Amino acid sequence: MIEVIVNGVRTEVSTEMNVNEIIKELKYKQKGFALALNGTFVAISTYDTTMICDNDSIEILAPVQGG
Amino acid sequence: MTKHIEHQTDTWEIGGKTLNSRLLIGSALYPSPANMEEAIKVSEAQIVTVALRRQAAGENAGGNFWNIIKSLNIHVLPNTAGCHSAKEAITTAQMAREVFGTNWIKLEVIGDQYNLQPDPFETVKAAEVLIKEGFEVFPYTTDDLVVAKRLADVGCKIIMPWGSMIGSGKGLMNPDNLLAIRKQFPELKLIVDAGIGKPSHATQAMELGYDGVLLNSAIALAQDPVKMANAFKFAVEAGRLGYEAGTMQQREFASPSTPTVGTPFWHQFS
Repeated sequence: MIEVIVNGVRTEVSTEMNVNEIIKELKYKQKGFALALNGTFVAISTYDTTMICDNDSIEILAPVQGG
Repeated sequence: MTKHIEHQTDTWEIGGKTLNSRLLIGSALYPSPANMEEAIKVSEAQIVTVALRRQAAGENAGGNFWNIIKSLNIHVLPNTAGCHSAKEAITTAQMAREVFGTNWIKLEVIGDQYNLQPDPFETVKAAEVLIKEGFEVFPYTTDDLVVAKRLADVGCKIIMPWGSMIGSGKGLMNPDNLLAIRKQFPELKLIVDAGIGKPSHATQAMELGYDGVLLNSAIALAQDPVKMANAFKFAVEAGRLGYEAGTMQQREFASPSTPTVGTPFWHQFS
């Protein structure tokens, strides 16, 4: 097991894995959001090749009302 | 009558898009999604601001909100609200571009939590990076002329000075400052963003020669947001027409409107 911070909450996942895999493991929907890893934007096209490691911080953001 | 019709079909351009409405409105704080949808329709605004926030696992990303916005066939202007550094704002802008499918970004970098005043240093820094990355930056800034100059220097074609603090409804605190920016940058698109509380504030901004106004709370927090959206539509139109018509010069003395020639009882009984 490794620990990652997902939207500010410390969370355990099974192992190091790529972004697509962690989205599935965390039971997120497959589209309609954007993701940042350790404060840096990760494009959808690189989800397969971007690895999530122990203590990484992920932000998963979706559309909301704004002013 | 003919001129009125001409105005109705008058268009302007911002961020590579041709628009008919000079009213930009936010999508937050409405009593309900249905009320927001109706208010946006009635306002006839063609640009609506949206945002990104953390999503919980299992949620339908964006949910009903995003579906409503998409169905309105309008231009979305994502914001970077809540960011306190250039780095946060740049990352949020990149995420917004992917989710919303637009290179437009309302750049907000807050420098003070009490009055939500924009941080001019971080805003300029972020604007420079984002413009190089191909964004059309709509920077939210104060009414400081030099900050506007710095934003223009890094390539901003649009500048959005505040009228007053976000959500305050106080109107235009420093109309002279706003006018100075207008005079100095006739080639830029200028939008008064934040602080507008009632339709007359929007009219005043438009009379100064601003290209548009952006507001949210003034409509969403009205007793009747849909009716207020209608009021703002007319207020913005009235202000623009007034600007185009050219207002009279102020005078330091009274001057009668009614002709004095033929005045009855002229000094007969005094």
